[in-house]
Amino acid sequence: MLRDITLGQYYQTESVIHRLDPRVKLFGTVICMICVFMMNNGLTFALLTLYIFMAIKLSKVPVSFMFRGLKSIALLMVLSAGFNIFMTEGDVIFSVGVIHITIQGVMLALKIIVRLTYIVMGTSVLTLTTTPNRLTDGLEKGLGFLKKIRVPVHELAMMMSIALRFIPILTEEADRIMKAQAARGACFDEGKFIDRAKALVPVLVPLFVAAFKRAGDLALAMEARCYNGGEGRTKMYPLEYTKADRVSYFVIIAAAASVTAARFLMPDMTGFVYDLLSLIT
Amino acid sequence: MIIEFENVDHVYDDGAAAGVRALSDINLKVRDDEFIGVIGATGSGKSTLVQHMNGLLKASSGKITFDGRNIYDKDFSLRKLRDHVGLVFQYPEHQLFEMTVFDDVCFGPKNQKLDPEEVKIRATEALKMTGVGEEYYDASPFDLSGGQKRRVAIAGVLAMQPDVLILDEPAAGLDPAGKTEIFESVRTLKKNSRITVILVSHSMEDVAEYVDRLIVMDNGRIAFDDTPVNVFKNVEKLESIGLAAPEVSYVMRDLKEAGFDVSQDILTVDDAVDEILRALGSKTDPGDR
Repeated sequence: MLRDITLGQYYQTESVIHRLDPRVKLFGTVICMICVFMMNNGLTFALLTLYIFMAIKLSKVPVSFMFRGLKSIALLMVLSAGFNIFMTEGDVIFSVGVIHITIQGVMLALKIIVRLTYIVMGTSVLTLTTTPNRLTDGLEKGLGFLKKIRVPVHELAMMMSIALRFIPILTEEADRIMKAQAARGACFDEGKFIDRAKALVPVLVPLFVAAFKRAGDLALAMEARCYNGGEGRTKMYPLEYTKADRVSYFVIIAAAASVTAARFLMPDMTGFVYDLLSLIT
Repeated sequence: MIIEFENVDHVYDDGAAAGVRALSDINLKVRDDEFIGVIGATGSGKSTLVQHMNGLLKASSGKITFDGRNIYDKDFSLRKLRDHVGLVFQYPEHQLFEMTVFDDVCFGPKNQKLDPEEVKIRATEALKMTGVGEEYYDASPFDLSGGQKRRVAIAGVLAMQPDVLILDEPAAGLDPAGKTEIFESVRTLKKNSRITVILVSHSMEDVAEYVDRLIVMDNGRIAFDDTPVNVFKNVEKLESIGLAAPEVSYVMRDLKEAGFDVSQDILTVDDAVDEILRALGSKTDPGDR
């Protein structure tokens, strides 16, 4: 019942991107986000599209996996695109009753959809090619400088990896409890909203009890192994930059520079597209 | 009342077990008033099998009928099916959630939409059957010991008064005394009513002496479906699928091979003692026991 939830959807394969240091990939993802918001004309769009698809190609993850992540934000996309189409003032190209659709609206909606798509695809490249453990390692080391201002980076990273590790355990547990209560006649998909919410009590109570018990056991097991935080702790597989990582940093920065240049040196094409569209209609 | 499986397959298509064929080509009939043991090594499909009996899992192909009606028909209520087929999961104490023991046992009958008086009567009966004392009725289920929690959880299913009671590893994680107690209450329950009881276990010793019929699972298939005595004659085959016959069977087999005239149809230590004494005949005085 609950098993369809996938988080930390790592795609196992052998590729350049998979082998990269997680810090490089985190950096690349952040840069990708910034570029997505710098996108304003045809050239930036073309460049970014090229870069993202090159990254996907290099990662050897099937493109369909990238699009899978879009499903979860489909509603958000439809809503924001809808608002933009119907609420933007400008040159009307189509109208029924009180509804007016303007060129500007359509353009804005397209922009939003493209932006959201690229954000999801950019982050998907990261999460699909990096195991949750490597990701937290990368975060811990990449944000290590924050320790100087007394941010407990190691502890936060440990919490994150434990949380990630517990997700599949808890969904499995929830699945089992739901089945057990269904066997006692509980019904989760019938009745009004209130009834459904009430039907979850017999699932949530045992789930929380189990989660607390597990957390207690884990804490005890960590104590028993003398865990006492990040101080003086070494890694079995310490993160070290290789030549590929250094090259990648260079490539990412070069790509970001080209997008920045395209944004500021090329004239905004939107006006031109509007003219073109109004010629046609 | 009959549950019938016809060529049932189950392939997991979600989560970690994706693509695993957990059941293949299962054909079996569960009738009234039977005492059945389902045995198999870990991962042989025992739990998957019993979860089909009350419609918690849906067969990938094949047909399951209850009283002649296909349980996957649109107008067949799986909820009604679960009134008739009660399933107690492994570690059932993990499903307790109410404030008091009594309320938790009432959960099942309440879902059956019985009137409050009847719910109370059934809950009381069920708690008595599983041997939970009245002093615990108002206690929080989370304050009980492991064995007591388990009794309460089993009572929670019994209170629905099913025609078929399935217990998935009811004694897992209990000490030998607790184990015997649970099995003895199941035996008493079976003796006093005409319900069908299905005991799922990976341990031959546990179920052999209780059940009348044994279904042995191997890799999602039914390897044997016979009386315990007949099943245990196939010691080699049982060992090859990761199981073992009860210790007594080995003793009796070795004795036979050593030339003693003993029967192979022995399942319990007590019967074995009698049989050996009988074979030894006049040499020993049975009174010495």
